[in-house]
Amino acid sequence: MSGSTEEIKKEPKKKPIPRPAPESVKYWQAAKEHRLEIPHCNACGKFWFPPSQSCPHCLSTDFAFVPVSGRGKVFSFVTFHRVYHPAFAKEVPYVVALVELEEGPRLLTNIVGVKPENVTCEMPVKVVFDDVSEDVSVPKFAPA
Amino acid sequence: MIEPSRELRDACAIVGAGNSRLGRVPGTSSLDLLVEAMRNAIAESGLKVSDIDGIVCRGPDDIYGHHQQIGARLGINARFSTSLDNGGASQILAVAIASMAIKAGLASVVICGYGRDSWSRTHKSEEARVLNQTTPDDQLPKEFAPEYGFFGAVASHALGATRHMHLYGTTRDQFGDIAVAFREHALRNPDAQMKKPLSKEQYHEAHQVVAPFGLFDCSLRSDGAGAVIVTSRERAKDLKQPPVLVKGFGSFNNLRGWYNDDNMVVTAAKKSGEVAYQMAGVGPSDIDTAQIYDCFTYMVLTQLEDYGFCKKGEGGAFVASGALRMGGQLPTNTSGGQLSEAHVEGMLQVVEGVRQMRHTYPAERQVKDADIALVSGHGGNQVCHSTLILGRT
Repeated sequence: MSGSTEEIKKEPKKKPIPRPAPESVKYWQAAKEHRLEIPHCNACGKFWFPPSQSCPHCLSTDFAFVPVSGRGKVFSFVTFHRVYHPAFAKEVPYVVALVELEEGPRLLTNIVGVKPENVTCEMPVKVVFDDVSEDVSVPKFAPA
Repeated sequence: MIEPSRELRDACAIVGAGNSRLGRVPGTSSLDLLVEAMRNAIAESGLKVSDIDGIVCRGPDDIYGHHQQIGARLGINARFSTSLDNGGASQILAVAIASMAIKAGLASVVICGYGRDSWSRTHKSEEARVLNQTTPDDQLPKEFAPEYGFFGAVASHALGATRHMHLYGTTRDQFGDIAVAFREHALRNPDAQMKKPLSKEQYHEAHQVVAPFGLFDCSLRSDGAGAVIVTSRERAKDLKQPPVLVKGFGSFNNLRGWYNDDNMVVTAAKKSGEVAYQMAGVGPSDIDTAQIYDCFTYMVLTQLEDYGFCKKGEGGAFVASGALRMGGQLPTNTSGGQLSEAHVEGMLQVVEGVRQMRHTYPAERQVKDADIALVSGHGGNQVCHSTLILGRT
């Protein structure tokens, strides 16, 4: 499995740009301004991720995108050695982690600013933003 | 708490089991291979194709109305016919639904099976081989994964392996015990895709794919298919093969997701297994052989814990003891599994479970005195699970 075949054929050296679902547009708008914002339910007070149109804890549709601390810890991680997409050929080995935010939800992300062999589960991390284009910034995490 | 119906325990039997050519079978399609396996299952059962009045199978991602196309190729109409969408959990679910349909009087003889052409599809050109992609483009994630270079099933399962290693001190060497045991089994299976021995040294020396997984932690890209035929215990009596009882089945789906809760270290196998044990009236100590969905080595280890063959966290020591090998405490994936026989999304696990219960193998392939087999199916983004318990009549 890899990126979309058509995209890779067209621009093999370009990393995939997120193509937001309608419910995650606000997440990416905030990220562009270097804020990590995720859905927060006004009815039950819980956060969730990835974004969806109602709260998976109570089904309320009364929610807002709210800034979170950007702090969390590595729940688990893997190190890519194989190149699944030509744009990542120079990146290997690189780490993709599942980070658990202080607010609860977990998200997939890269761990940067540390050698892959030094990443550990439970390691404290904080968000940093990678400006991949004029329009898109991707939240990544570095040791806190 | 709801309980599974005891009426289904031992109500149905599997009376035919077959596989197609396995491994690298250029010039065929997944449908061709599936019908080949079905022809073999029908032929050995002693049934006529016109006796079949039910089809339950998983639909390949790229074929709409899969069961319709199977019926057309078998040249039959069916009273009960549908395609399933639970990934690698579908093949056992098909046998479960077939049993329920038979018990409900909706069908009398149901054929189940699955075929795929992953090796041919990913090797049809240099580009296809490099991309190694089996998922249709429109079903790939569009955000929250590809921008991080996160692709494929190896990585998502490897996240579970890392977490398990962190919590319980599980090691890669223990994953290697699984890979080596299944390769030993494959070498006794003339149909298996892998023909060469695998040593622990070779396991450790192989290249890393997505760490902690190396080459031999990953299942195969295979062409191949398997099929089984389910009917009532009554109907099974005068057919050609020794009937193999469907003692019980279960399923569970961690739909909150692989990344949520503890799902990557306590899989849906736990609750699926509890249901199946209850329906069958057996427990882990009654199981003589297991055929476990082995998409990756780690998934075997965690399922063995979830099914209660050892405690949570002790799977590493359990596999390192040699338990999975022929003659061990729980001979597992005795035809080589998806790591070494062929990867047909759990269908060959069902076929092997049936064959072990017939006691018709030569001694080197037969689990001695095996009366009860447990088969597992796992898939659908790591959250769908199904369990089948088979027994001798």
